Amino acid sequence: MKKIKLKNIVGSSSMLLFGGGTRSIVAQLVLLILPTAIVGAYMLWHLNIYYSVLENQWINESLFLTSGLIAGNIFYNFRFRFITTFLPLLFLLFVASKIVSNIFTGEFTAFYAITKFYIFSFLFLLGWVSGWAFARVRWFPVILSALLMLIQILVISNTTDITAKKLVAAFAPVLLFAFYIIYTAELIRNMNKDEPNFTWFILKKLLGFAIVAGLILLLIFSFYKKEFNAIEKQYGGGAPKQEGNAESLTKENKDGSVSNKKQMGLGGGRKSTKQLVFIAKLDNYFPNSDVPNPLYFTYDYYTKFDTLTQTLEVDSLMPSNDLFQPDPSKIPLYFTKSDSSVLDSAKGFLKRKVVSTEVYKALLSPKEFLAPSTAFFCQPIAIEKEYKQQFKSAYRAKMLVSDLNSAYFVYNPAGNVQLEDFQKQRFDELRKVNNWNNEDPAFMNYYTFIPKGDDFDSIRTLAKEITKNAISPVDKIIAIRNYFLSKDETGQPLFKYTDNPGVPGLPSASKLNYFLFENRKGYCAYYAGATLFLLRALGLPTRVATGFLTVDRSSKNKGWYWFYDDQSHAWTQVYFPGYGWIDFDTTIPSTDQQEAPAPDGTPPVTVQTALFVTNGNVLEVDTVKKRVSMSVTQMIYNDKTFALDRPVNLDMDVSLATINRDSGQVPLSELHRGNQVTALSFSEQFKNIVLKDSNDYKEIFAKIPKPAPIDEIKIIDSTQEKQQPKVTTKPKTISFTKMVWIGVSILAFLILLLFAMPWLIFKWYQSKAKNKKEVRSKAYYSYMAATYYLNQLGFSKGTTPMLQYAHDTIDPRFGTSLSKFMQVYLKTKYSDEQLTNPEQETVNNFYRPFYQKIKQQVTFKTRFSKFLNFYRTINFYSKPKI
Amino acid sequence: METVNTETALQNIVRLTDNIETVIKGKRNQIKFVLTALLAKGHILMEDNPGTGKTVMAKTLAQSISGEMGNAAVNFKRIQFTPDLLPMDLLGSHIFDDVKKEFIFKKGPLFCNVLLADEINRASPKVQSALLECMAENQITMGEVTYKLSDLFFTIATQNPVEMEGTYPLPAAQLDRFFIKIIFGYVDEDTELDIYKNYLGINDNLLHIKQVLGIEEIMHLQEQSENVFVHDEIIKAVRNIVWATRKNPDIVLAASTRSGITFLKCLKAYALVNGRTYVIEDDVKDLAQPVLHHRLLYKNKDAKANALNQITMAEMDRLSKLKIN
Repeated sequence: MKKIKLKNIVGSSSMLLFGGGTRSIVAQLVLLILPTAIVGAYMLWHLNIYYSVLENQWINESLFLTSGLIAGNIFYNFRFRFITTFLPLLFLLFVASKIVSNIFTGEFTAFYAITKFYIFSFLFLLGWVSGWAFARVRWFPVILSALLMLIQILVISNTTDITAKKLVAAFAPVLLFAFYIIYTAELIRNMNKDEPNFTWFILKKLLGFAIVAGLILLLIFSFYKKEFNAIEKQYGGGAPKQEGNAESLTKENKDGSVSNKKQMGLGGGRKSTKQLVFIAKLDNYFPNSDVPNPLYFTYDYYTKFDTLTQTLEVDSLMPSNDLFQPDPSKIPLYFTKSDSSVLDSAKGFLKRKVVSTEVYKALLSPKEFLAPSTAFFCQPIAIEKEYKQQFKSAYRAKMLVSDLNSAYFVYNPAGNVQLEDFQKQRFDELRKVNNWNNEDPAFMNYYTFIPKGDDFDSIRTLAKEITKNAISPVDKIIAIRNYFLSKDETGQPLFKYTDNPGVPGLPSASKLNYFLFENRKGYCAYYAGATLFLLRALGLPTRVATGFLTVDRSSKNKGWYWFYDDQSHAWTQVYFPGYGWIDFDTTIPSTDQQEAPAPDGTPPVTVQTALFVTNGNVLEVDTVKKRVSMSVTQMIYNDKTFALDRPVNLDMDVSLATINRDSGQVPLSELHRGNQVTALSFSEQFKNIVLKDSNDYKEIFAKIPKPAPIDEIKIIDSTQEKQQPKVTTKPKTISFTKMVWIGVSILAFLILLLFAMPWLIFKWYQSKAKNKKEVRSKAYYSYMAATYYLNQLGFSKGTTPMLQYAHDTIDPRFGTSLSKFMQVYLKTKYSDEQLTNPEQETVNNFYRPFYQKIKQQVTFKTRFSKFLNFYRTINFYSKPKI
Repeated sequence: METVNTETALQNIVRLTDNIETVIKGKRNQIKFVLTALLAKGHILMEDNPGTGKTVMAKTLAQSISGEMGNAAVNFKRIQFTPDLLPMDLLGSHIFDDVKKEFIFKKGPLFCNVLLADEINRASPKVQSALLECMAENQITMGEVTYKLSDLFFTIATQNPVEMEGTYPLPAAQLDRFFIKIIFGYVDEDTELDIYKNYLGINDNLLHIKQVLGIEEIMHLQEQSENVFVHDEIIKAVRNIVWATRKNPDIVLAASTRSGITFLKCLKAYALVNGRTYVIEDDVKDLAQPVLHHRLLYKNKDAKANALNQITMAEMDRLSKLKIN
């Protein structure tokens, strides 16, 4: 665009404009800035879903961005210099930030205000620079599109469960926008300011664009559909969206029940409620006493740390996987599932004993399994009728627990002699251990792994500093615990417990370092995460366990514990050879923590033992007579399990029975043929059966009363299996490389299309030129094909008329007859006369020889490389620079 | 509409051009412009340094056309404009006839067919405006009597861009009368060499130049040029260019509607001069500068150099991408 000298720009206001015309500004604002603002808002909204730094303020944030965009674009459409205006703006914002930090004095408010202001400044400047670039930088739309694409790839690659929908939602708007913005920016750049029907012209072009872009997008997505679905399958797609409680350790399932989350983020706040999750009876006592010894209930182990998202992660491939995690809702009532291999993996047998627990789930999902480590056995049990309202399901679990573990070992035994003794004994016992040399190197490497980086180096230094006086490993752990409990020089506690620790000002800063060195406030995940690395830095194999913290509040019912939502917890486990994984909790007590409501009511103490349990499929349901017949495949009689060789049909009297699902009690009509059910009977009638051979199930069936009186039928929801995700499969974080790969292949496809575009356009003209019969259109397409070909090969006529250019340059150079043809072409174009026969001949015989001649004289290599030049194609269709 | 009798018209043009070219070497384009102005029934203003062949051009043209009588060439007059030149020096004056005892009109040099007005900007404005009526109306009014000029009256005026002191720049109205203003320019190096080698021969050519066309034929060609076909898109292009000059903030005095009509006339004539019976886009590009440039007033030098060119290029771009079928 032509520059107008500054001294001559006084006068009409439109002359002040760089590109000229209020029209151009309006066009830029409506067609470029507005869509960019919309996409910006969408991106911010999208980022808000994944990043808590933005604090769900996307509306405000996009307003900041938009204001910057509009202001910058209008401003730089006038002839202001960029550097000389941008630097004062930066200075202004800097001064403003100083003022803001002085106005807000309180530490907390100041931090938030300044963070907000930084976010505002960043977004506003981003908008400002983009506005400038839209006004001045020709290639900006391309750069912008590439940037947006990159951001989306980064965001998507960090999400855990990827669905095709999510991919489309992430990429389709950005792709569409990319096409749109590049196309429209070029359109506006080349617009004829004096075009009388400019609006209509733009509308027409955009409509055409919309159709083409839609087609291309459709093509891409149908092309990549398989790929998308494959990703979805692989990365746990279709999982219910995790909403709310973004940083809580528990997550709410669709049906309102609670499960533990598989990812533990640092950042944001932890929200917890006072709802009862489950209660448990734990038969664990201190050695040689009847004092109940509560244990933390473990749900999952976190062994990996993702530096990019700064979250601890579950790793199903961790060495010596000792996690027993069955789905109790899939096990028929009173049938058992056990896995003794986890005991081998747990590697600890010293000071261990087998303990059993009974868990009654209130809000906890029927699919979840929690027990103190190391569990190896699970048996769903029935709940007595009167408690069925309160508790949905229950199971019995057995585990090999260490005598060295106790929920009481938290921080301060508070003068309780027995507990202090216990702690001392435990430490004395563990002090004997200071040699990990005989362990498997792979195991040790895995559990002492620390990511590289300055952030972790400073943690290493801190670990050495804290434990410099401790000799044995246990003392080092105690030193770390004491460090968290220590006071600073003013006598204030060094660390504080808070559910809302705030975030570091820079989103990329290490949250762990922020917690350890600056903020020093956090909840359990922060303490556990920090301790994990402090201990690993010392070479101790450590992992983070999540689950529930056990508090003994019941003096009436010994061994019964109530678990509320706010007791969800994270702590560390350290491996001691011979003793296995031992719990260590370094989270400091909250000073202002409210006690959970004291548990009241009585626990469902009387555990019934079912005399007769059958498992199988329903054959027939008679809702009138209250009869059900089923085909039995498994059976328990008098605590003895029988696997039946051949299914046996059993008639049941269900007039007194309750029908249950995981979701609660249901009427008999919900029972359908084919359902897998477990039928229980507590009836006395089964007690008095005398058997000759206690191993013969046929005899039992022959002797039981017919129809058999049944007290409870439990439907095992196999149909729901398809809809609900398997909890036991661990969603992986999609690998960054994979995502980049897909992004790159999409980009590559587009780029290929872009590079092939000149050739395709040429081929189109050529085919028209060759195939048209009518002489006038043949002349037109021959002209287009020839000029396009020449233009692409670098022979651009520029501002010279084609006839003259052909006569002066092309014909002498290539020996073609282009000028002769041009004369005829111009005659067809502007004359009302018919072409004479020789002229028609000229048209008909022009294109082929012309093309051949040029092809012969330009090497393939040159032609190929020139045809890759998309810029020439743009120039061909855009106005020449004058 | 009467169509152009292509054969003879084109032949005549070629004959005239070739004839002039025997004397004026390497100036094909300038010859074409002069002929265009002639065929469009207009006048031409040539601007250049002395010694580039302007006078010879005019002479040759006059010599190539035979007058009404037949063999003799048409009436050619040359006036050197000076500051003290008076209108009556051009138009003629009433003098007293001793014999008839009455004032008779003594015709001035304007009563001719081809007039070479040398250094027109040196004459005072009243002389310039005296020329105005002749050029516009083809007549001279002296007192109450109006004298018709010859049917073929073609003015070739020259202007010297150097030595601007003591000159009277032509008023806009006067400039408007000139259909075409060209810069005569130097010939290229090779042609110049040819001219040096053969200047005797060229002089000889001038002396013995043939009259190839009669005045009627010229007038017939003028009529023919009106019948050249102009496509609607070309007319639109002319309109667009004229309008663009009005919208351009760098142009102080924009093109008038009359100049648009002149443009069209010249386009037709130019097409005919180029041996075509229809106007093409290249004609628009070739003529925009000579026809319009001198009618416009620009804000500054920069604009003078570029503004019209840009407007024309934009319009050419539109035309060249147009699909008319």
